[in-house]
Amino acid sequence: METLNFLMQGFGVALTPTNLLIALIGTLIGTVVGLLPGLGPINGVAILIPVAFAFGLPPESALILLAAVYLGCEYGGRISSILLNIPGEAATLMTCLDGYPMARQGRAGVALSLSAWSSFLGAFIATCGMVLFAPMLAKWAIAFGPAEYFALMVLAIVALAGMAGDKPMKTLVAALLGLFLSCVGIDANSGVYRFTFDSIHVADGIQFVVLVLGLFSVSEILLLLEKTHHGQQAVQATGRMLFNFNEARRVLMINLRCGIGGFIVGVLPGAGATLASALAYSTEKRMAGADGQFGKGDIRGLAAPETAIGASCCGAMVPMLTLGVPGSGTTAVMIGALTLYNITPGPLLFQNEPELVWGLIASLFIANFMLLVLNVPMIKLFTRILAVPNWALAPAIAIITAIGVYAVHATTFDLLLMVAVGILGYAMRKLDFPLSPLLLGFILGGHMEQDLRRALSISNGELDILWSSGIAQGTWAMVALMLALPLLRLWRRRAARRQAAPAALAE
Amino acid sequence: MGPSIRRVLLAAAVLLLCSARAAEPVSPECIAPAAPGGGFDLVCKLARQALQEAGLTDRPLQLSYMPGGVGAVAYNTIAAQRPAEPGTLVAFSSGSLLNIALGKFGRFDETAVRWLAVIGTSYGALAVRADSPYRTLDDLLAALRKDPDSVVIGTSGTIGSQDWMQLALLARLAGIDPRELHYVALEGGGEISTALVGGHVQVGSTDISDSMPHLNSGAIRLLAVFAEQRLDEPAMAAIPTAREQGYDVVWPVLRGFYMGPKVSDADYAWWKNAFDHLLASEDFAALRDRYELFPYAMTGAELDAHVRQKVALYREMARDFDLIR
Amino acid sequence: MLLQRLFLAAWLVPALAMIYIGSAYQAPFAYEPVGPRAFPLLMLGLLAAGLVYLLIHPTPLADDPDELPPGVEGYRKVGLGIALLLGFALAFEPLGFIPASTLAGLCFARLYGGRWLPSLGLAVVMALGLYLLFDRLLDVPLPLGLLAGLEI
Repeated sequence: METLNFLMQGFGVALTPTNLLIALIGTLIGTVVGLLPGLGPINGVAILIPVAFAFGLPPESALILLAAVYLGCEYGGRISSILLNIPGEAATLMTCLDGYPMARQGRAGVALSLSAWSSFLGAFIATCGMVLFAPMLAKWAIAFGPAEYFALMVLAIVALAGMAGDKPMKTLVAALLGLFLSCVGIDANSGVYRFTFDSIHVADGIQFVVLVLGLFSVSEILLLLEKTHHGQQAVQATGRMLFNFNEARRVLMINLRCGIGGFIVGVLPGAGATLASALAYSTEKRMAGADGQFGKGDIRGLAAPETAIGASCCGAMVPMLTLGVPGSGTTAVMIGALTLYNITPGPLLFQNEPELVWGLIASLFIANFMLLVLNVPMIKLFTRILAVPNWALAPAIAIITAIGVYAVHATTFDLLLMVAVGILGYAMRKLDFPLSPLLLGFILGGHMEQDLRRALSISNGELDILWSSGIAQGTWAMVALMLALPLLRLWRRRAARRQAAPAALAE
Repeated sequence: MGPSIRRVLLAAAVLLLCSARAAEPVSPECIAPAAPGGGFDLVCKLARQALQEAGLTDRPLQLSYMPGGVGAVAYNTIAAQRPAEPGTLVAFSSGSLLNIALGKFGRFDETAVRWLAVIGTSYGALAVRADSPYRTLDDLLAALRKDPDSVVIGTSGTIGSQDWMQLALLARLAGIDPRELHYVALEGGGEISTALVGGHVQVGSTDISDSMPHLNSGAIRLLAVFAEQRLDEPAMAAIPTAREQGYDVVWPVLRGFYMGPKVSDADYAWWKNAFDHLLASEDFAALRDRYELFPYAMTGAELDAHVRQKVALYREMARDFDLIR
Repeated sequence: MLLQRLFLAAWLVPALAMIYIGSAYQAPFAYEPVGPRAFPLLMLGLLAAGLVYLLIHPTPLADDPDELPPGVEGYRKVGLGIALLLGFALAFEPLGFIPASTLAGLCFARLYGGRWLPSLGLAVVMALGLYLLFDRLLDVPLPLGLLAGLEI
């Protein structure tokens, strides 16, 4: 009951006209920043901290602004994923898989609105979870040590196999390349520089932005060139702008499942939205089985990752508020911002600053709602991007992509690396290699290796540590289930055939 | 579009005139050689806010991020490609100096840039969980002496990092071979605190600013802080120094700025004066406290000499520990 | 098939080279049981094995009804596009963002079949607009290059 009281107080803070206006501006700016490839919530939040200061906003308003920008950016990221097949950030990688095919079938409006709806539901579930369980979850998140994280990463990698489809070998090779690329740069455990060839530019590894923009954006520009050569326009925008009731009903269970799952993964510091969306997508793909059109514009393949992203973004606030540990890069910046206000996020925040915490949680509710209301009417505007002729679209993508890459290190080297990666991406796409496993392998590989080595450092090489805790055992059980599911289906199909065979004989 | 471009150009011309008249270097910029959110980011923001509130800069410092090789990319860029920019400051810390000493900054050494100012410091510290059996530094060192392998120690970064160095110095004073200790490389002070609370490591070699949240909540204790004397703050006055427990290890984590090697003396002097002015003011002291930094002020030639001395010292230490040959 | 095999081979060679390079990595002194070498070598080993498998049994390309073979002229254009991107990357810092983007934007628009005048207009507007948007509003510093003296 006390919690509810606090939440009511929080709404009192968040619903003041000034704070509502701030949330509105925040979501708008966030959407624009998120839309630009290469710029993500980290940039959006980092840019607005000084602005919040300059206007002398009180801490709760500043935090509301940052939360709104954060959610807005996550929202904006999907627009380029669905319309242009360029993931604005790591998490929206999975959104491309079914979102872009939908746009190509002329269902861009449906894809955009359904993704907004899904992510709203995900965020809603997660915010409810926060209200109910935040302090308890904080304890649970702390119990996650290197061994448990390693098990979780293995689960994600196994889930990757769910994306393999009809070309398992090519998927495997792409994922392995990604896993290898994650090793480039200084090794956090030993300090050895690996595969850097004495170049300082890759000393801290290949930047994700360079890889994602090279693989997707540059290769898209080159493919667009081919299409222009044949006189094709990239994608036609026609048809409905909104999803209908039937579609919403079809994905409702997915929204619920992925919302809860996404929230749980989001709460773990460092795991993040990418892991949540990858797990959600592959699990749903497996559950849908043979009747799914996953990868070819299935609305379920769009709803699953989007719900998980929405949920995990809110979930990432839990470790930030309760432990002072950033759950993602963006929350790291937000912790920095709080420090400026002389507020130290951590175990005491809920006790010492209840208005602030509950005001923030209430504003997450409001920002989510605002995003949905704001963006649905804007979908028509967004889909206009598709009507831009290629001769104007291609230079715009090229220049904005270059800015996004340049923004990371401010070096020419990264731009050249991006072009090189782009050529690889183009060749891979021409030869039917999937790109997303490469990127997922890249993102997960670093964590997987470091966590394994940390775990084994703690235990001095004893492998037992990897499955000594209940959490780890639970995760391994899920890995086993993931591996067993396709076998089970195969077995069932065989059994069905065997049943069918005598029947056919009898006729 | 036409008139607005004209207006922009006009505004540009006016700005140009203004900036030419003031002695303030044009387009002041602070480069944080890391991703947003870390200590470098904060020290740039501290400088921006302080300079602006004191009315020392007309235009606020523009913040940019240049992560790469733990600061190596920024160092090389300033030393080689952008050596003469009068308005560009780059943040550094003791960790950067350590990396120079270890040769991790490529072909450039500590003489390749102009060291401008140190505006604050933090101190290294050893943390344990509140219910840990180790009450003092001696307890811990006794356990390590008996079996160096028995205690799992979390450090931020790897062998040769600041966290590792302070621990290695301590171990050596206690007659323990630092190579035999049982490390786990974690990322950042926040992660060390959670790993301690979660019971994944038993001791954390970290710094005091990063430990504050969990220290205040009572989840962790500090066995020692590596400062000259006890820290002058109510929450920290009770933390014993390593020195008073009989181990003379002092490890300040300086935070400051350097500039390009070809920046003119006039511009360098302008910045030095601005920071001298700032560091002497009360307002800045209050602001610095908010950013969780302790007082440390050094600018200009004095700092330059100090940096050289530090790097030389680190180099010697690194050789002692077989980190460089 | 031939194209695919060539691509796989072009991939296999660096992978093998990396295995050779990677096998030399060693920590200054061993304090952890696994070390910096095991994981990348394992990944590279599996990668190489996968590539060899694909070299022997290449998978036929899926037929995408949307995609027409680009033909010689198409590939020539793609080559031009790559060259243009490279030029843009190299000119980005020395020329500065605005001149480099104007030039690159114009060439790209032309390559994709834009007419001269609209292409030029688009390139100029885009270069200036994006500069103002990113450098001034979004705090992403872009190089001024040739225009450094102007202090826009």
